[in-house]
Amino acid sequence: MANNAQTPLETQGKKSLTGQTTTSLYKQTLLAGLWRENPVFRLLLGMCPTLAVTAAVKPALTMGLSVIFVLLCSNIVVSLMRKLLKPHLRILMFTLTIATFVTIADLFLKAFVPRMSETLGPYVPLIIVNCIIICRAEACASKNTLVVSIIDALGMGAGFTLTLCVLAGIREILSTGAVWEVNILPAGFVPWAAMSMPVGAFITLGLLLGLVNVTTKRNAKT
Amino acid sequence: MLKAIRHFIEQSWLLIVASFFFGLLIATTNTAWSPRIEQNKTTKINNLMSGLMPKAEKFELAAELQIESSKGKKVKSNVYKGLAEGRCLGWAFNCEGPGFADKIELIVAVDENFENFAGYAVLASNETPGFGDRIKLPLYRQQFAGAPADKLELARTGDAEKIDSEIVAISGATVSSEAVIKIINNFVVQVKEQMQKKGLIGDGK
Amino acid sequence: MDTLNILLMGFISIVIINNLVFTKFLGICPYLGVSGRIDMAFGMGLAVTFVVTLSGTLTWLIDHLILLGTPLEVTRYVCFILVIAGAVQLVEMYLRKFFPVLYESFGIFLPLITTNCAILGLCLFINLWGIDNLLEAVVLSFGAGIGFTMAICIMAGIRENLNLADVPQCLKGAPITLITAGLLTLAFMGFAGMIR
Repeated sequence: MANNAQTPLETQGKKSLTGQTTTSLYKQTLLAGLWRENPVFRLLLGMCPTLAVTAAVKPALTMGLSVIFVLLCSNIVVSLMRKLLKPHLRILMFTLTIATFVTIADLFLKAFVPRMSETLGPYVPLIIVNCIIICRAEACASKNTLVVSIIDALGMGAGFTLTLCVLAGIREILSTGAVWEVNILPAGFVPWAAMSMPVGAFITLGLLLGLVNVTTKRNAKT
Repeated sequence: MLKAIRHFIEQSWLLIVASFFFGLLIATTNTAWSPRIEQNKTTKINNLMSGLMPKAEKFELAAELQIESSKGKKVKSNVYKGLAEGRCLGWAFNCEGPGFADKIELIVAVDENFENFAGYAVLASNETPGFGDRIKLPLYRQQFAGAPADKLELARTGDAEKIDSEIVAISGATVSSEAVIKIINNFVVQVKEQMQKKGLIGDGK
Repeated sequence: MDTLNILLMGFISIVIINNLVFTKFLGICPYLGVSGRIDMAFGMGLAVTFVVTLSGTLTWLIDHLILLGTPLEVTRYVCFILVIAGAVQLVEMYLRKFFPVLYESFGIFLPLITTNCAILGLCLFINLWGIDNLLEAVVLSFGAGIGFTMAICIMAGIRENLNLADVPQCLKGAPITLITAGLLTLAFMGFAGMIR
């Protein structure tokens, strides 16, 4: 998985040496996180929180924003430190950085949105072991300049948040008839309780992944 | 020896400096926000208690008791006095116990003599959505308002409108309904006993 | 006798009823990646069991002896993940020295266990559930590992047969695994409420 993520950026790096404009490099990096290398659908990273917090859109959005925050900060710090890292200690450094920023994010949530913090529960500290963040630190931030790392973080984070919200939207509509606690479906709709339980999470994600596979195959053919 | 230490520091100076810096960062954020976090916790409990005793103007912590839970473990229970114009309107205490899925935490409110329940509110629970989750809904909760603060009993069918010590279970969620009743029964008996021993209740003070 | 009862109930609860993979969504990444063959899955499961028992105990000890009640509590997450990383490193070094064959067969899995949500998740759940007894923490950690091993072996068995089935092209690989996992979750939900 990490190799797939490295190659496009490496080739982009080489291209920029031969004259590809920096703005188009930035745009490519940003868009990569959103679709082509979407962390959940294409790279299959960060599954645990995806399944756990997507019972409703509000917690999903909160989790997505927290991940963007941690990803951004950790990418910035790792990119600034990249010349000083000793090879055999670098995973430890990444882990330490990520753990610090997750602690800060958790404190922020507990202080300013306590109800969301309770709903998310232990899944906020689990951002530390979220493969997305450590993979991006390893594959991108430790090898690229500050600006590219920031854009990569924003792209990946946005892709992740988008995925979470789509999954949460589907599950919330089907399990309560409302999205963001605003009723959308008519009152006659019988809610599918299974959608708010683990079953619904797994099956929805599986079907969505299948859908994404179909779309990419079709795009590749045309 | 010195060479070994020098080698160690050369390899890990970044780690040491970073740890120090990160530790500082965490410490600052924590000091800045922890009063707010504490405040959030008390606000939440106060809001729940106001919902149960709407006439009370403020709540003050009356006692911190150790109650034995149904599993035999000692659980801390805070008892709050609801006051309006200096007069005691009632008491509220938190209790917990095993539910269908995970632990259920409740706040139970009683009148000033511990004779009748004012109701309960769910602090935390993880029951099955659509079934056990209904313990949060007024439809089940209103059966407790005014019920005698003694041993409540679960009934599978019956008149939910009648206020007495028989509580009609939620259909499809007997275990969760029973769990709530068991928790309340277990705690109200012990809290009443300990409060009487402390002399805090007994003559409607 | 009563403690034994509590320990046994706790063990059964975390292996079957509150299984970390099926009810708490932990450990999905390796679950999808490794559960191709039963022997690989079993090996991974054993490695995880070992590491999680060690980490669960160590983090409980650190939590209760050093962190709880002191201002250092806010560094809990940092401490936990460092302990887990250290434990994995220790296990790796120990295996490499004394059981080289076993070490070779584990391959890349061992370092990957550090980012396994199940381990950090379990340490945090032990903290969340307010376990105040070292023996209970050890039993729960061990149970979590066994639960994970059981889940991953069931999955591997099903996947081995799925390879021979006629799965639609777009669903091959991760999607069908997830759907199967969902159905397994449904099956395991039947165990809920077993312990009052």
